[in-house]
Amino acid sequence: MSPKRNPTTLALLLVSLLPASLALAESPPPKDVPACPSGEAKPDVALLTQRTEQLLQGRSSVGTMRMTIRTPSWTRKLKMKVWSKGGDFALVRVLEGGPRETGMMTLKREKQLWNYLPQAGRVMKLPSGMLGDGWMGSDFTNDDLVKGSSLSNDFDSRVEGTLQHEGRNAWHVVLTPKESATVVWGKVELLIDQASCLPLLERFYDEEGELTRTMSFSEFKELGWRTFPTRMTVKPAEEGRETSILYEQMEFDVDIPDNTFSLHRLQQGR
Amino acid sequence: MLLQLAWRNIWRNRRRTLITLSALTLGVLAIVFLHSYRESTYGELMRNITTGLVGHMQVHSRGYRETPEVSNYVPDAVTVEARLEAALPGARAERRVLGAGLGGTEHGSAGVMVMGLQPDDEGGSHLLTVTLGHGLSSTPAREAVVGRELAAELGIQPGGELVLVGQAVDGSLANDRFTVVGLADSGSSEMNASAVFLHLADAQDFFGLGDGVHEIVVHLPTDDEDVSRQLSAARAALDVASLEALPWNELLPELRATMEQKRKSQHFIDFIVFLIVALGALNAMTMATFERTREFGVLLSLGTRPGRLLALVLTESLLQGLLGLLAGLGLALGLLYGIGQIDFSSLAQTDMMGVRMPSIIPLRVQWQAVANAAVTVGATMLAGGLLPAFRASRLKPAEAARYV
Repeated sequence: MSPKRNPTTLALLLVSLLPASLALAESPPPKDVPACPSGEAKPDVALLTQRTEQLLQGRSSVGTMRMTIRTPSWTRKLKMKVWSKGGDFALVRVLEGGPRETGMMTLKREKQLWNYLPQAGRVMKLPSGMLGDGWMGSDFTNDDLVKGSSLSNDFDSRVEGTLQHEGRNAWHVVLTPKESATVVWGKVELLIDQASCLPLLERFYDEEGELTRTMSFSEFKELGWRTFPTRMTVKPAEEGRETSILYEQMEFDVDIPDNTFSLHRLQQGR
Repeated sequence: MLLQLAWRNIWRNRRRTLITLSALTLGVLAIVFLHSYRESTYGELMRNITTGLVGHMQVHSRGYRETPEVSNYVPDAVTVEARLEAALPGARAERRVLGAGLGGTEHGSAGVMVMGLQPDDEGGSHLLTVTLGHGLSSTPAREAVVGRELAAELGIQPGGELVLVGQAVDGSLANDRFTVVGLADSGSSEMNASAVFLHLADAQDFFGLGDGVHEIVVHLPTDDEDVSRQLSAARAALDVASLEALPWNELLPELRATMEQKRKSQHFIDFIVFLIVALGALNAMTMATFERTREFGVLLSLGTRPGRLLALVLTESLLQGLLGLLAGLGLALGLLYGIGQIDFSSLAQTDMMGVRMPSIIPLRVQWQAVANAAVTVGATMLAGGLLPAFRASRLKPAEAARYV
């Protein structure tokens, strides 16, 4: 917000924002979001995952986040803004980064990704073979962006039991790939907080059963009816690497114009 | 006198001698021709390797070979290059940038290998055969030369625009646009299907390397396979704590292993060929001495010393060896010079362990092979002649003279 903005505009802005945020804070969870079965020892996993996805994704979301990537040879920080609509559409825009990457954008439309390259001033579609590569040199893969948190389609899941994780009671869920699914993981372990039904930790194993990366969720914050993890950290098996995302601001279920996710717009670099 | 006698004796049974000689001739021909052909191929392959992308030796930042990451580079490359050229008289060093990336055109995108190299003074590069368009300018102009097969995959022609994306040394997103000026054959199918060649300065800029490079390639003024002496000199001139110098044969260990394996199997074949020839010679010489038992008996009775008899039979054997050797050499040299060069260019080009097999092989006589053949023939005929000669010298004159 520019300091030169005159008081009237500011007041108008506040007024227009107020009902929305009030509504957000007071509204109960939508009816189609299943209640958290906190007391159950072995809840229905499908219900849990459905709830988690609705919680983390919402109908739509807009947020700003900071990404910190640490490797043995360098550390760097990016600030970016993310728009998403359901699980199929997302746009990431780098707001602050190196001189050649500020303005970089990644557009996700269904299963496909396009990158806008600010220095080149061009859009490039990501070949499907590169979905497993890190996004912007981070430990989040392009695939993480495309698939989001939707593990439920490709995996069979069962609750193994309950255990303690950092002072919280958690369900220990094990996901194994369905026979028909073509997935990169041999097994995924999930720890879900019993109180909030939110994921705390995700461990990914390759086909040989080796742990290849760990994703952890922390710094939970209240946002309307949601409790939301504002920090996500990925640690790959490779020593000395780590990427974390910290949400600075997040809004759910906001109206986003459809052309936000238009390829044509991306090509113009806007 | 002995030689004259031996010469007369070997032509007493013309047919048998001719059979022995033809076996020897073919043996020598096989050894000399096959050796020369193989070594000519290797020599040509070596020239391709050492004058081409691989060079005689390469200098990298220590650990680059294990983890070839863009951030693993030689920072003060110009100094290192100068030091190498000072330590190796007559050597030519060149600096290269290597990095992975994604290349895209309006038709599609593909994973590419970006190679930044120093164009020759007049533009272009001796490493690349431009098949369409022209080579890189001698000064950086954001131009790209694309490997032939990669260009086909990306659907790009000279004049087209190529967008490159990669990761810079500091981890940031490297991205830029280049004008494709030419398509090229780099002498390796793998490279042709993946490489984008840029001016060194453009590539350094793209990856944010400053003056750094990933590879310094050294071309030595020699055709020798063994460059261990020059390697020691190079290592002495470098800071080996941070840099690593490796010769071509360690850079291409599979190729070296294949060459050594083929040489070994060649020696084994030589051995078998000459074992057969030796058995034939032994048989022929044994027959010859048997037939002449009476003659030897008479000679001994007349006072010829057994040692002289031994020498005579051995001389006959070695003389045949010499004749066979000369005939075989004559044929082999005639064949090698007659053919001159073998042209495989009409066949599909093949790679051996990532190195293009030469398509035209000028045949050269390998004097090492000639020496090998001479020694082998000598040994064979000595072995084949010794037993019968010894037998002849041990005959009892009275019995032998009456032998029918």
